[in-house]
Amino acid sequence: MMRARTPTLGHVSTVLVLLPFALPLAWVVVAAFRPAGDLVQADAGWLPVRLTLDNFTEAWRLLDFRRFLLNSALVTALTVIGTVLSSSVVGFAFATLAARGKGVLFALLLSTVMLPSAVTLLPTFLLFSRLGWVGSYLPLIVPHFFANAFYVFLFRQFFRALPGEVFDSAELDGCNPWMTYRHVALPMARPALATVAVFAAIGSFNEFLEPLVYLSRESSFTMSLGLSFFQGLYGTQVHYLVPMSLVALVPVGIVFFVAQRAIQRGIVTTGGRA
Amino acid sequence: MTTKTGTQRGTAAPHSGQGSRLGPVARGRERWFYLLIVPWLLGFVFFQGGPLLAVVAMSFADWPLPQPPRFVGIENFAALGQDPLFGRSLVNTIYYSAGLVPSGLAVGLALALVLHEPRRGVRLARTIVFLPAVLSGVAMALLWSWVFNPRFGLANRLLAMVGIDGPGWLHSEAWAMPTLILLGLWGVGVNMVVYLAALETVPTELYEAARLDGAGPWRRFRHVSWPLLSPVTFYLGIVNVLGAFQVFTPTYVLTGGGPNHATLTLPLYLYQNAFTYGRFGYAAALAVALLAFVGLLTLAQFRAFERRIFYLGSG
Repeated sequence: MMRARTPTLGHVSTVLVLLPFALPLAWVVVAAFRPAGDLVQADAGWLPVRLTLDNFTEAWRLLDFRRFLLNSALVTALTVIGTVLSSSVVGFAFATLAARGKGVLFALLLSTVMLPSAVTLLPTFLLFSRLGWVGSYLPLIVPHFFANAFYVFLFRQFFRALPGEVFDSAELDGCNPWMTYRHVALPMARPALATVAVFAAIGSFNEFLEPLVYLSRESSFTMSLGLSFFQGLYGTQVHYLVPMSLVALVPVGIVFFVAQRAIQRGIVTTGGRA
Repeated sequence: MTTKTGTQRGTAAPHSGQGSRLGPVARGRERWFYLLIVPWLLGFVFFQGGPLLAVVAMSFADWPLPQPPRFVGIENFAALGQDPLFGRSLVNTIYYSAGLVPSGLAVGLALALVLHEPRRGVRLARTIVFLPAVLSGVAMALLWSWVFNPRFGLANRLLAMVGIDGPGWLHSEAWAMPTLILLGLWGVGVNMVVYLAALETVPTELYEAARLDGAGPWRRFRHVSWPLLSPVTFYLGIVNVLGAFQVFTPTYVLTGGGPNHATLTLPLYLYQNAFTYGRFGYAAALAVALLAFVGLLTLAQFRAFERRIFYLGSG
């Protein structure tokens, strides 16, 4: 019996499954650089004869996208800091400290993953409006300082996989759990920290519903909200919309290529087991 | 992932049950545990548990913001039953989930099976499939919608090449929802990555044994891979349904629920009621309905599939 599959067949199937992903992506990228006229011409040739940056520069002038990107960067950075700090310490506690009621609390923690954000949106909005935070970035950032169930789980798994002697010897050296977390666990948790940071960054940068609900001044818009606003204003002018959408993808794209492994690891850790 | 129980330090109450007789060390640990999880406890009270109770309470009120709420009993829920748009949005959300989740699982699994074998270029291929799933968000939705532009989009230009007059996609009442489902399928890379990781854990001896028994590729998949992947399929099914029921960005940005409410989903209708019409009580009732449906569906999935899951060396 020879091998069931010849290499050529394998290659053909690889290329075939890729087409629906690669082709549209390549097509929109090329479209962004074509002159405005070519973009909305049904019989424009497939191969771009002329390429230009005009669409980018003009769209960039129409709205302050630099501002939107900076706003997104600010919200994303603070979100990442809050998520990483709070989730790692809670994950550490669940992984290493015995306590009565821990099992129940852990089940409660995991069950919050099932809670749709649309359900909690209204009371949370009222809470933030009572606090006078609507219109600021606080509602987008502050909740992330209170641990995220998914990432707590991820950190817990990570700390549990470490040899227990590491923490025991720290205790013997007179470290209390906080010192053990701060000086032993956290430095060892680099891979988990990277995964969570990347996840939180992408999630925050792509977030749309919350900025839409909480931000109202144009100068405070994040990139996704700015883009949606731009679409409302210039939606029919795709030669602006397509390039600006591409610009909005660049930061996440960079993170993706730098940290692809960390992203996949995170998906597998949180998604591989129920 | 290995689940280690050995790292669990300290013993809780030696005579479990009452737990009143803890040693000083164990009691110290317990105190530290509760101290260190304070961030989550506060987050739970203020952003999850509390809002959950509050939204239920709000659903019994008439609350035309900024005026104060007025208790109306089950009036909001009675109104839900009379509201054709609620029915429409529920049907649309089910349509979206039923269209996206099974196909997303199938495509994700198929991609994983094709891209599992070590072959030249396979890593690049995985990257290309995974990229749109990570990019997602408003920008990606806008770009994909341009692919489906009825006149100038890639889809209809390709169809025209084979003599087909393509549909209006997002502009057509019949096609808008299928188009959103297709857009959702571009995010299938997440499922693929989870399936790829699961395939790595299937012992190769099992395939070898099946091969020696004369099993072809289909039977090897049907009787080896598929049962071993069933826990992952089950988990992805639940997570994907949860995600599908929360779809908001593409409907808000691309269609606004149209044309003629064809893509009005529950989360979008909830948002419109709360933040466009200012009907907070009614929106809260919609949130409770959404929660009930998500809960029921998750429960149904557990009931229907949990027994059919095969765990290798289960425990």
